[in-house]
Amino acid sequence: MNIELIHVSRSFGKNKAVDGVSLEAGPGVFGLLGPNGAGKTSLLRMLATVLPPSSGQLRLLDRDPRKPVPRREIRRRLGYLPQNLGYYPSFTVVEFVEYFALLKEMPSARVSKAVAVALERVDLGAKAKARLRTLSGGMLRRVGIAQAIVNDPELLLLDEPTAGLDPEQRVAFRTLMRDLGERSTVVVSTHLVEDVGAACTEVALMNAGQIVFRGTPEELTARGSDHGIGDAPLERGYSAVLSAARS
Amino acid sequence: MNFPNGPAGSSTDHDSRVPDDVDLGRVWTGVAAEVWRRHPGRLERTAARLLRSPGLARALLTAPSLLLPWLIATAVVFGVGALLSLGPGEPLVWLVAPAIASVGIAFAYGPGVDPAWELSASAAVSDRMVLLTRSVAVFAVNAALGLAASAASGAIASLTFGWLLPMTAICALALAVATAARSASVGAGAGVSAWVITVLASRTASGQLTASVTNADTYLPYLAVAACCAAIVIYATRPQRGLQ
Repeated sequence: MNIELIHVSRSFGKNKAVDGVSLEAGPGVFGLLGPNGAGKTSLLRMLATVLPPSSGQLRLLDRDPRKPVPRREIRRRLGYLPQNLGYYPSFTVVEFVEYFALLKEMPSARVSKAVAVALERVDLGAKAKARLRTLSGGMLRRVGIAQAIVNDPELLLLDEPTAGLDPEQRVAFRTLMRDLGERSTVVVSTHLVEDVGAACTEVALMNAGQIVFRGTPEELTARGSDHGIGDAPLERGYSAVLSAARS
Repeated sequence: MNFPNGPAGSSTDHDSRVPDDVDLGRVWTGVAAEVWRRHPGRLERTAARLLRSPGLARALLTAPSLLLPWLIATAVVFGVGALLSLGPGEPLVWLVAPAIASVGIAFAYGPGVDPAWELSASAAVSDRMVLLTRSVAVFAVNAALGLAASAASGAIASLTFGWLLPMTAICALALAVATAARSASVGAGAGVSAWVITVLASRTASGQLTASVTNADTYLPYLAVAACCAAIVIYATRPQRGLQ
């Protein structure tokens, strides 16, 4: 298993952002759904080793991220796209992606080829030498995806990856996720249930820091067959599970 | 597998003049990698060789969020040092100078300063190692400048030997321990502990609290510690056979 969580919690003061989550995931695309404040981003930041859990056990890629040496190994094999991608405006696209390839300790000889492959995968070849401050929001999102996949990660964590992408790019991105999920564990946190339906092999729904549903997109759809609210079948399943959890 | 209209995506749509066994996508990627390849400057290449880490060298020298604190730290070290050396009485502040300077540099870096902090925090090259390396770089550069100025004029000698040299030695020790132990926190702890022991031992030996920064007998040991620690860092980060 690439991800193993046992009763993992994370608190910020008195607020419990993640509350006793247990989860296992192997290769595939894993969707993380939930309303604002459900704890998706906190959970993703713990998986990215940016945020330590307040309690519980966490194992990533069969390693313990609490120890420095295994944590470094995990980070070499990790790709992470945060919800708010911070960037250096004066860097070019190539410089930015290369910078994080080096910080991930990729061998120097492999970096330039890996950067070129990553940029082509997100269709940013034409903007390779453009400064980041000149790019649109959607292009910046794709730069973020490129830096996340540059090291061909075994564990890829994407927080709202399709925010700012146009419909054509979103369709292409779903295909990219499915492709990556054949070899790696891809965890996608999103508000957009159609992304989950199209790309994910498994989905978890979070509410108030807890996982209130886990299954396939089809199983989530089935939950909304009688009483869900929404335009699409998956949306009805989503709202039905949330309503049940809140009541 | 590409976003729409990507050149690599056209690999299945071969021109009829191109042999079937030529993958245009791969060819394009190879060409693009060469065209887009960044050529590091001389300073970055030297830092990468010394640190045995291209990522650390790049982070140290080129990330704008790291460059500004470095310059600020340099200005603060010289400015406060010059003010203190002009003031009367015992240089008690020098005793805590290494800790204050290191903490200052550490706090000059974080989510509020580095826009890409979240990404850096998830990277294999530890941001704390970058901090420690930067501290050593700041103090080593300042100490070298101070030594040169002292040779030209004695006016800055007390600042150089009483402050810059001990700070360089302590930070180099912290970096060496952090590199060997693979933990920046362990290194920082070792640096602070070593400095406390030095201050207390000097006081016991001479009966004077500020002996560790005013006694000329300590200057050579500080230089030796800094040199030895630099050698340890270079040895500990040497390329491992079969890993490159």
